[in-house]
Amino acid sequence: MMVEIAIFFLLIFMIIGMLFVLEIENLLSAVVMMGAIGFGLSVIFLLLGAPDLAIVQIAVEVISVVILIRATIHRDIKERADESLSNISSIPLLVCIFFFFLMIYPALRLLPTFGEPVFLNFYSSSVYYLRDGFHLTGAPNIVSAIILDFRAYDTLGEAIVLFTSVIGALSILRYRNRKKEHNAS
Amino acid sequence: MIYTLCIILFLLGLYGVLVKRNIIKIIISLAMMNNAVNLFLILLAYRSNGVAPILDPGMDPSILLETSVDPLPQALVLTSVVIGLGVTALMVALAIRLYHAYGTFDITKIRKLKG
Amino acid sequence: MGLLPAFVAIPLLTALVLNIVEQKSWYTHILALSSSIFLAVLSFFTPQTHGIYYVGGFGPHIGINMMIDPLNRLILIVVQVIVMLACWYSVGYMEHYTSKSRFYAFVFLMLAGMNGIILTADFFNFYVFMEIATLASYVLVSYGGRSYELEASFKYMILGSISSLFMLLGIALIYSQTAALNMMVAAERIDPAHPVTFLIIVLFLAGLGLKSAIFPFHSWLPDAHSSAPAPISAILSGVLIKAVGIYVMLRFVFNFIGSENAPLTMLAWLGVIGAFVGVVLALGQKDLKRLLACSSVSQVGYIFIGIGLGTPLGLAGALLHLISHSASKSLLFFSAGSIEYSANERNITLLGGLKKLMPWTHLGNFIGFSAIGGIPPLSGFWSKLLILLACVSAGQWLIGLLAALFAIMTLSLLPKIEKNVFTGDIPEHLKKTKESPSSMIIPMIVLSFFCLGIGLIYLVPSWNQNILTSAVEVLMDGRWLGAINNVP
Repeated sequence: MMVEIAIFFLLIFMIIGMLFVLEIENLLSAVVMMGAIGFGLSVIFLLLGAPDLAIVQIAVEVISVVILIRATIHRDIKERADESLSNISSIPLLVCIFFFFLMIYPALRLLPTFGEPVFLNFYSSSVYYLRDGFHLTGAPNIVSAIILDFRAYDTLGEAIVLFTSVIGALSILRYRNRKKEHNAS
Repeated sequence: MIYTLCIILFLLGLYGVLVKRNIIKIIISLAMMNNAVNLFLILLAYRSNGVAPILDPGMDPSILLETSVDPLPQALVLTSVVIGLGVTALMVALAIRLYHAYGTFDITKIRKLKG
Repeated sequence: MGLLPAFVAIPLLTALVLNIVEQKSWYTHILALSSSIFLAVLSFFTPQTHGIYYVGGFGPHIGINMMIDPLNRLILIVVQVIVMLACWYSVGYMEHYTSKSRFYAFVFLMLAGMNGIILTADFFNFYVFMEIATLASYVLVSYGGRSYELEASFKYMILGSISSLFMLLGIALIYSQTAALNMMVAAERIDPAHPVTFLIIVLFLAGLGLKSAIFPFHSWLPDAHSSAPAPISAILSGVLIKAVGIYVMLRFVFNFIGSENAPLTMLAWLGVIGAFVGVVLALGQKDLKRLLACSSVSQVGYIFIGIGLGTPLGLAGALLHLISHSASKSLLFFSAGSIEYSANERNITLLGGLKKLMPWTHLGNFIGFSAIGGIPPLSGFWSKLLILLACVSAGQWLIGLLAALFAIMTLSLLPKIEKNVFTGDIPEHLKKTKESPSSMIIPMIVLSFFCLGIGLIYLVPSWNQNILTSAVEVLMDGRWLGAINNVP
C-alpha cells in the first residue's frame, strides 16, 4: 500500500513536470525538466522491484539529456512567444485526445488489478523463468537470464538498433552528401 | 488509478508531439511517450509486496515463484529503453542538421515541401 | 527450418562488414550485390510447408520463435528480389552520392529488419525488428542531405515513432491479457469480446495504418518516398510499407484477432477513399517522384479494398496486387531515378522529348505505368480484375464501381507522363542527356519482365495453387487456435 501511494505521488510529479515541459518557453529548462521526470521514473522502477531497470533508466536519461543539451545550447534557446496560432489549432486536438481518453477509460478499469500480475493465472513463460531459470542458466538475476539467454534474440536486435542509430547519426551529420557537380540546388 | 495516470502521461506526450511547434519539445514528448509505455509494462508486472527477481546468496531458488515480481516485462523494458535512446539520438542528429539548413527549431517555418 | 535465421544473420553480417571496409573501394558493390543475390536465391529454397524454428532451442512458451508458412514465404521472396534489384541499380545510381558502403549498410540493416518482421512469431521481437527497419529507413530518406530531404525524414520519423509506440502499448495490453508474447499462444488466450481487446485492435490498426499509409494517415508518404534516393524509394514503396504495414495487418486481423472481430468494412471503405485521394493527388503533381509516391497511396488503397472484403477471392486479389505493385512501382521509381540521374531534373514540366535520348528508360516507364494502370496483359490488370470480381461476388457493387472508376483515373497518368516527359521538343538544357549506365538499365528490364509475367501467377493453375491459394488458405484458416500443437 505504501508503494502504491509513493508511486501515485511520483506519477503526479511526472505529469506536472510534463505540463511544465510543454508550456515553458526556455528550451534548456524543458530539457532539464525532462531529466527530472526521467529520474522520477527511475525511482518508480526501484519501488516496483526492478533495480537493473532503474540503473539503465538513469544512464539512458543522463545520455539523452546530454545529447539534447548539445542540440539546444547556443541555439535559439527561447521558444517563440507568439504561440497564438498553435494554441487555436490545439484546442480541437485537445478535445479529440480527451474523448479518446473517455473512450478507453472503461477498458483501463478492466485491466488486471494493480499488484496482482497476470502471469500467475497461466502457465506462462515468467513462471517457467522464475521456477527453472536459476537451475538452467546459473544466473541469480532472472532478468539477466532472460535477456542474455531465453530472449537473447531480442537483445541482438537491441544492439543492432543502437548500432543503426549511432552510424545513422554519423551519417546524418556528414555535411558533404553528394559529389561536387551534383551538390547544386 | 495508477494505470490511468500512466495513460494520461502517454496522452500528454501525444498531445505535445502533435501540437508543439518546437522540434526539441517534440523530441522530449516522444521520449515521454516511450517512458509512459515502459512504466505501463512494469506496472503490469508488480506483485503486492513483491521483491526483485534476484537471488541472494544462500536463498532457496524455489522461493522466487512465491515472492518475486514478473521478470519478463523488465527484460522487455530494458530493450525498449535502449531503443528509445537510439530513436532520440537519431532525432537530435536530424534536428541539428535541420537547424543548420533552416536556422530555426520552429516546425512551422521548416516547410519547403508542400502538403 | 534451419534456413530461417540466415535471412536475419546474413544481412546483419553484411551490414557490419560494409561498415569496416574502405568507403571508396569497388568491392563494396561486389559484396552488397553478391550478398543480396545469395539471399534472393536462398529465399526460393525455403520450405513450402508450415514450419517453426525455435531460436536458441526454446519452445513457444519460453523463448522466441520464427515461423514460415506460404503467406510469409511469398512476402519474403518479394522482399529479397526487390532489394536485390535495388542493390544492383544502386551500383550506377549512387555514383552521385558520398559514402556508398554505408548506404549499402543501411539497406542491409533495413533488409534484416524486414526479414525479422516477416519471419518472427513473437510480438516484442516484431517491435524490435520494426525499429531496426524503420530507423534505417529514416536515415536513408535523408541520405541526400538537402534541406527538404531532412525535413521529409523528420516528418516521417515523428509519425513512424508514434505508430511504433502505439503498437508497443498494444503489445503491453496483449501481455496484460494473456501473459504471453508468442503470437500463437496469445491468440489462444485472448478473449475477443473483452473491452481491452477492442483497445488493442484500435491501437494496432492505428499503428499499422500509419506504417502502411492508409487513407487518414497517408500524409507522410509522398514526402518521404519522393525525397529518398531512387533505389530507396523503390524499396520503401515496393516492399517496406508492405512488410511492416500490410503483412502484419493481415496477420493481426486474420490470424490473431479473427476477421469477424475486426472492422473489415471500415478498412475497405478507407481503401476506397485512399485510392481516390492518392490518384487525385498524383494527377495534380508536377514532381515525377512525388507523383509516383502519391500513386502508391492509391494502390495501397486497392490492397486494402481486397483485404476489407475478407473473401478468399478478395484476399487473392490483394496479395496479387501487392506483388504486382511491388514490381511496377519499383520499376517506375527506377525509371524516374534514371531520368533524375541523367537529366538532373524531376519537374515534368521542364522535361520533354526524352524518348529518343533514353529509349530503355522510356520503355521501363511505359511498361510500369501500363502495369499500374491495368492494361490487359500486364500485372496490374489481373490484380485489379481479381479485386473487382471479388467486390462483385461479395455484393459490394458500390465499392467495385468506384474501384473501376479510380483504375481508369490511374490509367490517365500514362498519357500525362508520356506527353510531358517523353515526347515533344527537347529543352535546351537536356540536349546532352545520355542513357543511364547499364547497371541501372538491367534491373529495369528484369522488372519489366516481372510486370509482364506476374499475371501468370494467377493464370497457371499449379502456380496459383502453390503461391496464391495456399497463402490465402493461411489467412482463411482464421485465428491460431491450437496452432502450437499442430506444428511438428
